[in-house]
Amino acid sequence: MLKKQSNKQLFSLFAVVSLFFLAFTQSAYATVKIETWQTQGGAKVLYVYAPELPMLDIQVSFDAGSARDGDKWGQASMTTALLGLKTNQYDETELSQKINDLGAQIGGSVGRDMASFSLRTLTRESILTPALSLFNATLTDSVFDQAIFEREVQRRVVGLKRQDLNPGSLASKTFWQELYGDHPYAHPVYGTVKTVESLKLSDLEGFYKQYIVTQNATIAIVGDINSKQAKAISEQVLKGLPKGKKPQPIPVPAAPKKAQEVTIDFNSSQTHFKQGQIGVERGHPDYYALFLGNHLLGGSGFGSLLMEEVREKRGLVYGVGSGFSPMKQAGPWLVSLSTKNDSAQEAKKVVNDTIKAFMKDFDATHFEAIKDNLIGGFPLRIDSNGKIISYIAMIGFYDLPLDYLDTFPKEIKALSKQQVLDAWNRHIDVSKMTTVMVGQVK
Amino acid sequence: MIKISPPMFKLKLKLKPMVKGKLSRSLCGMVVCSMLSFPVLAKVTEYQLDNGMQVVIKEDHRAPVVVHQVWYRVGGTYEQPGKTGLSHMLEHMMFKGTKTLKPGEFSKIVSQLGGQENAFTSSNYTAYYQVVGTQHLERVMQLESDRMRNLVIIDEEFDKERDVVTEERRWRLEDKPTSKLREQFNAVAFLNSPARNPVIGWMTDIRSYSAQDMRDWYQQWYAPNNATLVVVGDVEPEKVLALAKTYYGKYQPEKIPTLKPQTEIEQEGLRRIELKGATKVPTLQMGFHVPSLVTAKTPEEKQEIYALSMLSSLLDDGESSRLPTSLIREQKIAASASSYYSSADRLPTLFYLSGTPTTGHTVAEVETALLAEIEKLKKEVVSKEELERVWAMSEASYVYSQDSTQSQAMILGSLVSVGLPTNTLNNWIDNLRTVTPEQIQAVAKKYLHRDNLTIATLYPDGKDHSGAKAYKGRH
Repeated sequence: MLKKQSNKQLFSLFAVVSLFFLAFTQSAYATVKIETWQTQGGAKVLYVYAPELPMLDIQVSFDAGSARDGDKWGQASMTTALLGLKTNQYDETELSQKINDLGAQIGGSVGRDMASFSLRTLTRESILTPALSLFNATLTDSVFDQAIFEREVQRRVVGLKRQDLNPGSLASKTFWQELYGDHPYAHPVYGTVKTVESLKLSDLEGFYKQYIVTQNATIAIVGDINSKQAKAISEQVLKGLPKGKKPQPIPVPAAPKKAQEVTIDFNSSQTHFKQGQIGVERGHPDYYALFLGNHLLGGSGFGSLLMEEVREKRGLVYGVGSGFSPMKQAGPWLVSLSTKNDSAQEAKKVVNDTIKAFMKDFDATHFEAIKDNLIGGFPLRIDSNGKIISYIAMIGFYDLPLDYLDTFPKEIKALSKQQVLDAWNRHIDVSKMTTVMVGQVK
Repeated sequence: MIKISPPMFKLKLKLKPMVKGKLSRSLCGMVVCSMLSFPVLAKVTEYQLDNGMQVVIKEDHRAPVVVHQVWYRVGGTYEQPGKTGLSHMLEHMMFKGTKTLKPGEFSKIVSQLGGQENAFTSSNYTAYYQVVGTQHLERVMQLESDRMRNLVIIDEEFDKERDVVTEERRWRLEDKPTSKLREQFNAVAFLNSPARNPVIGWMTDIRSYSAQDMRDWYQQWYAPNNATLVVVGDVEPEKVLALAKTYYGKYQPEKIPTLKPQTEIEQEGLRRIELKGATKVPTLQMGFHVPSLVTAKTPEEKQEIYALSMLSSLLDDGESSRLPTSLIREQKIAASASSYYSSADRLPTLFYLSGTPTTGHTVAEVETALLAEIEKLKKEVVSKEELERVWAMSEASYVYSQDSTQSQAMILGSLVSVGLPTNTLNNWIDNLRTVTPEQIQAVAKKYLHRDNLTIATLYPDGKDHSGAKAYKGRH
């Protein structure tokens, strides 16, 4: 596969190189051959040929997540929810019938960085053509209708009210707010009852016009269509959207200067515990070392130290884990568990002791075993179209090198124990943790 | 991370939600059909070993990966009062060591192979799986076959794991009023059938298990003639069979207990319960007693199952289906509304309806509107257009389901474990296509009536939960 090059070179060279690989490597070689180009509108495209099943997946991602909400929390998510309900050509019932008649699946989702829209369809000609045309219409020709908007706000409010009395959601929401303070990552992706109720339809129209533009789009395509078809499809999918421009980068978050601990008294049988700090952004050179270390500490289920100490040795929890969520800007590193109220302090202490011990030293044999897990398990990460499209959408959206998937096992293999310890001690400071506990903490 | 697994089969062939013993992952919806022909739709190879163990193999050569699963015919509906959840607890103990492996060692070995592994328990079965690079198939088969007969349950390990399961129950149920509602609804809809048992078990039952209960349960049910091996992936069936003979074929069959029928008594009038919980949002769960594909024996009875499946899809499959169209978009009374038919259960089952009112509307309105949709199905025959739409979606979903080898293995294992043939899959859409509008009307009239209905409603407990304010402590 291609090694790191500048993106410009990649765009011009890649098609040729991957054709070569297509011709000379068949199934046995577990890797993903990505082609990339730019549409006339400036959207970046990543494409993987997967001829085994007569189906096509497309994901179009925009830098239009809740981090772009400003003070109108929930704006991004409501915009995503309204797109594709009604178009200038079809009302809601007609549109949903047209999509269902084809057996096509069209959906949207939103996170802090990204709003993304997906199509899954059969590639039979009589289905593919109308499915693509409907997908294009949902993105480019949606109508922002006042009555639909009001109804969807009411439905969203029901969901938010339900979350308000869920101790796990409450803990998670509080953790992000404490950790990120005034940063755009701080507020909940779906907003709050109050902020969603105060949204106006014109807010969503404005949000759509600013962010759902081709310059701000990444298109990922996986399926049983050839490269030439994929090029045509990539032009067609966003046809009719203005070029617009990329938004300004999200500001760099400032980490809390000292430890902070928030307790919420809540009438539940378990206490939900979240602890962590700000980690790194996607593409950070230390990410591999942090990820590998986290896999050992709390990222690999039963192979990890936290599971061993908190569940296997003491029976305190059903699940405990830790993870980095690298984002456009530094995302959090978070340890999460829930335990009966009486055990909350004990579980917290075990977690803290485990992290401290891990950051001083860990067992070399265990370290090698965890590396084996990641390297040996790599083919499992890319064994379906569904998994591949998630990866290439991520590679495209975060501007990761195209050989990211090939590099991953190699980078992991090359890391030494000391490099992992050094990276952790550079990024994680146990004296500055943000901790949230929701429950009847004793 | 850890999350509740959603109802498994989101589309046609629906099974009950399961309780996962370890880190759970969500499973995609899937349907079946036969008229599509492409290379990946390889045939399923079936064998029976001399000791009675069933073997189901499906080739899928897209990636150098294999799914290896062993399914035991034991689960929530096999359990007796006072010992509910025993199958699930035993599933946890299966990771706690054998005559040759220390507690936790199984998972460590699979992890080092780069594998993923897990286990899950439902009303109908308990299953264990590993996903590994193809070259490791023999190793995981050796490990899995070891714990089929050589499990060692150590008292101290059992005590700790029982604590883990109580935490699991707290996490899944105790602080989630809607999950609690479903559990209690089920226990009222079924009065004497073991279908009323919660898969995870009642808390009091969990607390009073002994290590010996586990050993006895293991001894009763874990034998080759009560198990199915499912292998899907980059394999050659003959080689898999040879390995299966080596590792599973060496065990003697056991005498498997025969269950008493515990046939659910006929329901002769509406049942209704209320639950109050820490919620701001009331919600509604309803269900009618219906047969399943397993309990339906004659072709006429099986035709009813296909008609009920079509009926469920007409109500709630895709945004254009009747419940979202009517309750959410037209009447604007529900934030959510759904139907669900658990068609592949071992025992007679339920046709579910559920809904949550949107702001400014009541559960009573949602209840009335859901039942009105049922009445409409009895009065008016459905259009050809609506049926065609369901068939088209089913066929497409079938192709999509082929994208995951794990989903394919799940379907095969769950069918065989309730005694359905593996070609149930291949014939499914053909069978759906034989359903007529009149048959849908007939099953609606026969089963979806008030005397056969249970309704459970969750209401806010009226307590003030707004006092949940954060305070910063200690720093």
